[in-house]
Amino acid sequence: MNQTHYRFPPASAYLLNRCLYALKSDDAFRARFLADAKAAMAEHGLDAEAQAALLAADRDALVARGAHPYLVFMADLRVRMARGTGTFEYF
Amino acid sequence: MLVGAFACAHTPQLIARPETEDRELVLRVHAAFARVRRRLEMLRPDAIAVVAGDHVEAFFLDAVPALAVYAGADAAGTFGPYEYRFPVHEPLARAVVEQGIERGFDLLYTQRARLDYAFFVPLHFTMPAPAVPIVPLHVNVYLPPQPTPRRCHAWGQALGEILGARAERVVLMASGGMSHYPGTDRYASPDFEWDRRILDTLRDGRGAELAAVTGEELDKAGNVELRTWITVLGAVGGAKAEIYCYEPSWHHGNAVVEWQV
Repeated sequence: MNQTHYRFPPASAYLLNRCLYALKSDDAFRARFLADAKAAMAEHGLDAEAQAALLAADRDALVARGAHPYLVFMADLRVRMARGTGTFEYF
Repeated sequence: MLVGAFACAHTPQLIARPETEDRELVLRVHAAFARVRRRLEMLRPDAIAVVAGDHVEAFFLDAVPALAVYAGADAAGTFGPYEYRFPVHEPLARAVVEQGIERGFDLLYTQRARLDYAFFVPLHFTMPAPAVPIVPLHVNVYLPPQPTPRRCHAWGQALGEILGARAERVVLMASGGMSHYPGTDRYASPDFEWDRRILDTLRDGRGAELAAVTGEELDKAGNVELRTWITVLGAVGGAKAEIYCYEPSWHHGNAVVEWQV
């Protein structure tokens, strides 16, 4: 399958994707990340380059490393919601 | 018996609106949801079978099912400040699993998996009063390789037959779409023209043509989630779609549709 936007997630990016998944879906992990991002990323065994890309919220760098674009998107949104940056109207 | 079929957008900005979103547009989509809710109150379903694509919430890379059925006593999840729990129509869910397997669909079933917001958002706005149980049906849309549109359509045909033979009054609801590219560099430029062409096809009752669309084309058009619609299309046959709304935002083609069955 030759899909350009959502590609097969390479196994080499499993830990990075797992960390993004936890940021998106695990409230306790997200809180630990907000308190001490480096320690939280170390829980998932991210290497220095992946940590730098995630700290900078550098989507292109994360996707280039095999991160799933949707996980990058929603992890970032959930972190911003948790930080209280921006305003949200809840229905 | 199948008594109704719908498709609803579920983008999270409809429920948690950041300042980047046009409030009036969001409210227009809510008005379309309110129409669905009134229709559901008229249709008096015993259950709503919701076909949605889990956003890597219940199913991470540890285990990636193509098609899954929630067959527990209930199904629950959270999204930001929202905590939700819906009773599952267990006899119906079990019939879908058993007869689906019998018909050659190798389904995963779960009695305890998180329920993604893709299921929650349309139900938040459209659940009739009194509330009815649901049957959550997952179709993998985000983790390649996804099931082909042809397979989704065949699954929908089987669902239509299985649900159609039941005594309960069942509504099918697809959740997702239309064009959007979350997390990619195309996020701000959805393919609204492709969406409108598809809506014309559906309005004409030619939805079966979507079974022939390729996975590559769905990915290109930002419509990987249309697999949930194509599943429902397998069940509604040649019914003509009524378009309740099509609201293109800066990043998303928001559509709400009914097929009278």
